Amino acid sequence: MKLCLENISVSISGKQILHSINLQVDEGKFVSLLGQSGCGKSTLLKTISGILPHSTGTITLNGSKVDKIPPHKRGAVIVFQDMRLFPHLTAAENVGFPLRMQGMPQREYLCVASELLERVQLGGLDRRKPNDMSGGQQQRVALARALAAKPAIMLLDEPFSGLDENLRDDMRRLVLELHKEFRMTTILVTHDKREALAMSDQLVVMSEGRILQMGTPKQLYEAPDSREVAEYFGEAQFIKGSQRDGVFRCPLFDFLYEAADGEYVAMIRPYALEVVTGEGFTLVQTMYGGDSIEAVFRHQASGISLTCKLPPDSNMKVGAAARILPIEDKVRLI
Amino acid sequence: MGNRHAFILRLLLIGIIIAILLPLLVIVIWSFAKRWAWPNLLPTGLSLRGIEELFGEHSNVLNILTSSIALSMTVAIVATIIGVMTARAVSLYDFYGKRLILFGSILPIIVPSTVFAMGIHVIFIKNGLNDTIAGVIITHIICALPYTVHILAGVTKSIGDDLEIQAQVLGCTPVRSFFIVTFPLLLPGILSSMIMAYIISFSQYFLTLLIGGGKVKTLSVVMVPFISGGDRTLASAYALLFVISSVCVFIVIDLIIRVFTRKVIEREA
Repeated sequence: MKLCLENISVSISGKQILHSINLQVDEGKFVSLLGQSGCGKSTLLKTISGILPHSTGTITLNGSKVDKIPPHKRGAVIVFQDMRLFPHLTAAENVGFPLRMQGMPQREYLCVASELLERVQLGGLDRRKPNDMSGGQQQRVALARALAAKPAIMLLDEPFSGLDENLRDDMRRLVLELHKEFRMTTILVTHDKREALAMSDQLVVMSEGRILQMGTPKQLYEAPDSREVAEYFGEAQFIKGSQRDGVFRCPLFDFLYEAADGEYVAMIRPYALEVVTGEGFTLVQTMYGGDSIEAVFRHQASGISLTCKLPPDSNMKVGAAARILPIEDKVRLI
Repeated sequence: MGNRHAFILRLLLIGIIIAILLPLLVIVIWSFAKRWAWPNLLPTGLSLRGIEELFGEHSNVLNILTSSIALSMTVAIVATIIGVMTARAVSLYDFYGKRLILFGSILPIIVPSTVFAMGIHVIFIKNGLNDTIAGVIITHIICALPYTVHILAGVTKSIGDDLEIQAQVLGCTPVRSFFIVTFPLLLPGILSSMIMAYIISFSQYFLTLLIGGGKVKTLSVVMVPFISGGDRTLASAYALLFVISSVCVFIVIDLIIRVFTRKVIEREA
């Protein structure tokens, strides 16, 4: 369902956590909220589901205002990081819980629960208690339980951060599969930028209770509006320079760029640099990374360091000289 | 190292058993002793005089025992219900005056019972609650509340409201979420709280005597004069009845809660 947040502000015990948030999520989309811990992304989820009241603004779900509707009638289900399975109920009872709340008789909801458990690859574990399951299994039960509620909107609050790396990839795949299958509007909170880039239709970067930028993963990664967003996705390097007559000049190099004249900071990611034979830079450090080598070069004239990627079979030694060229369409001025 | 550890633990266990069981054993022996005077290690002769007098026609002890148990169970139930609600308020919500309420809740322990009994007595006389069962029950509840509130506050805090919130976003009403999710997890705490409140009420002598004005007779009120009176055989017989009845009540409370828990779980299954 379509979710619309207008001018949402939230305060918890006198401290303002969210500052007039505006956000629109279209039907069936997968949106990730990204930001440092404490930036208010979990608070935003709780506000959407109705657990936390907002002091200003309106929340609309499919065109109708839901500000006054309590959590149990709102239909926005959160899957929390700590899973929150009911310890005294079995896996199937946990999954069937939302159906039971809707008044479905026991036999039917256990049957549906059983099918859903099968769907999250936990077939046959119906009678298992949460305490006798592994973290990954518990997370699957929590996911199945949220699906059973047939929520208007599915909210995932860092659901994978408690799992180990392999399991996390599995779960991501499962969540994407289920999202495709059930076409449920989904908001994922995470601080894992790789996860966010890989999974979402739309990304929202938050900081200190405000939205910094939103857009497709590609837009945010390649064309960040601000240094903060660029830094968030990592590996960005910033070089000051000035733009005049279609050329950007900085101490390291000049290149053609379309922008109004003025002072800028160039945001350069390692993939936007090309290392060629020549002079000007000295290789000072290499780090082997498997599929590539991360290499730090120092500009001989200015002493500025620049990180580039070298192919894994490169045999450049520390101390070697090289020339570095920017790939114009991958550099961005801010 | 491990052996030594086990040895110390076993020693401790034996010490605890002796500390608890030896006095009980002495009471049992005294209840059936004819004469047990210095320096004899064992009583000289056994008799059923204590038991006979305890259950004799004029003693009315069984009536007193039943009404005592009923009174103390009422106290236990009411104090636990108030305890659950207070515990919930102080452990899950932030409100103005919370610290004051928490401090107030332990006042009946801090202030000597003789002191606050006088205050309560004056108020009860003004309101006509003195010399009544209701007055005694209210006083016992006041004594038991610090314990029930703090036992249950700990449990409530450790359960938290995370699961209730999860239940609510899954479509469960707030009241139902308490009974379906929190209540089953709270039952062990409710059990300890009830037992605590029961024994506090059941063993209350001074307060019962003062507020009840001697008209509300509980087992403690009847028993204490015998203990201070010097008839050790009869006093021990009363003490034995006190201990056995309490243990029986604990077992019954435990069973009820166990059955209740199983019922809840079965209904869920």
